[in-house]
Amino acid sequence: MYLKSLHLRQFRNYRDQEVYFTAPKTIVLGDNAQGKSNLLEAVELLATLRSHRATRDRDLVQDGTASSQITALLERATGSVDLALTLRHNGRRTVALNGHTLKRQIDFLGVMSAVQFSSLDLELVRGGPGYRRDWVDTLLTQLEPVYAHILQQYNLVLRQRNALLKQQKSRTDALAPAVDATELAVWDAQLAALGTRVIRRRSRVLQRLAPLAQAWHHAISSSTEHLEVHYAPNVSLENDDPLLIQHAFLEKVKERAIAEHAQGTTLVGPHRDEIEFTINQTPARQYGSQGQQRTLVLALKLAELKLIESIIGEPPLLLLDDVLAELDLKRQNKLLDTIQDRFQTLITTTHLGSFDAQWLQSSQILTVHAGQLV
Amino acid sequence: MARLIEQFQRLPGVGPKTAQRLALHILKRPETEVQELARALMEAKQQVGLCTVCFHLSADPVCEICRSTSRDQSTICVVADSRDVIALEKTREYQGVYHVLGGLISPMEGIGPEQLHISSLIKRVSKGNIAEVIIAISPSVEGETTTLYVGQLVKPFTKVTRIAFGLPMGGDLEYADEVTLARALEGRRELD
Repeated sequence: MYLKSLHLRQFRNYRDQEVYFTAPKTIVLGDNAQGKSNLLEAVELLATLRSHRATRDRDLVQDGTASSQITALLERATGSVDLALTLRHNGRRTVALNGHTLKRQIDFLGVMSAVQFSSLDLELVRGGPGYRRDWVDTLLTQLEPVYAHILQQYNLVLRQRNALLKQQKSRTDALAPAVDATELAVWDAQLAALGTRVIRRRSRVLQRLAPLAQAWHHAISSSTEHLEVHYAPNVSLENDDPLLIQHAFLEKVKERAIAEHAQGTTLVGPHRDEIEFTINQTPARQYGSQGQQRTLVLALKLAELKLIESIIGEPPLLLLDDVLAELDLKRQNKLLDTIQDRFQTLITTTHLGSFDAQWLQSSQILTVHAGQLV
Repeated sequence: MARLIEQFQRLPGVGPKTAQRLALHILKRPETEVQELARALMEAKQQVGLCTVCFHLSADPVCEICRSTSRDQSTICVVADSRDVIALEKTREYQGVYHVLGGLISPMEGIGPEQLHISSLIKRVSKGNIAEVIIAISPSVEGETTTLYVGQLVKPFTKVTRIAFGLPMGGDLEYADEVTLARALEGRRELD
């Protein structure tokens, strides 16, 4: 797929800016805090309806305005598509394809696909399990849009159940009447049913991603290093039978009932899943040097690109946010070799010094200054 | 004028612009008509309460549906809200009686089973002359929980069913979303 143009209105520090992409590779050049990453963030939002930098839409809307619009023209194998996303200060969103407003946002997902690689992604190795869950969730959302719905429902049940556990806790403190066991059992059943769907989908996508990541890791590092991507769900997954998983889920809820009661929060479920990376059987988090951790993240990102390409049948966009400079020449070349002209790539950087001359020649270079292209 | 606009704006679904339009409209109408509206509002508020049997809106202690002899008093349809009763009544398909819960279980909003008209439903059902309880609650997270909860409590006394969810009439299969399709598959039934 090919992103032909992007139009940002009142988005972050852009008041009104159109961007035309004229080459498979676009380098967005500018000093810090001029709006380079904001441009990539807009593309990320169109692809996933999520931003890895903002949790509230009001942070995305330009100060002093009520809403912002991101529109784009995307060329796909099946024809061209107009995408439009409106973000509002109050958090309400509107999405439209080819001028038709969609009733459900889920239908907007999967139209444009992108893999984002930013310096924050090193947290995938170094950071807590939440980063890895977010990563796999973002990937799943693009591959199986219905997953966005399942995850949202799961999180809602989780919040409701936590609210109930909290009420229970405060009630027993005051020696008030005991809790309604039937109500809790009903929330348990819902948590297990939705949680099972989350677990099975995460497991499935990681099974497909792991061999790709392993192959890339082999290719980039010396071949003596062996990467394993291992899904470690909070509720153990011995086979893929939904009924058995639900059963195991409810058993574990029973086991942890006293602890849940004492802490007033849900301790069982995919919101506590972990995804483990090991290199030669040692956890990458402890063992890896900076360089090894970068190699690992790069292998994961390349695996994502290939997986999305194989599933949707078209190469997704690649967004490289300030990461090229962090990679050494060998890894840079590996990445650039893979991309070639097949994956449309948007790259942000503060200086052109670290780029290969041939590369620069074939790229479109845009300079950003204070929310405007110059 | 500003007071009137402010009052309108408190109504559900009314924003500042609509409130202004409504207020201007009221000011243009003859006084008798406005009095009629004001009287209707006051009387509705004073006279309409909840039916003591099913908790649907009613001007009398027991509503028309519960009093009716032509309706099947042994089938109870459980709904979340009086609006659902009105929607179901429009179909003229349903001949039984209702029970309005007055909301859905939602711990985040502090609504538990004890805040809803659930114990009164159990009392109704436990008398033994109910043949079927149909639960007609939307399949949201909270709706699902309420359905399962009510189902568990009512089951010892009588047959419990829930309405089917699936494709809208005239809807094309290819345009249905995955969530709806999955539900429709779940609720499939044998062709007779």
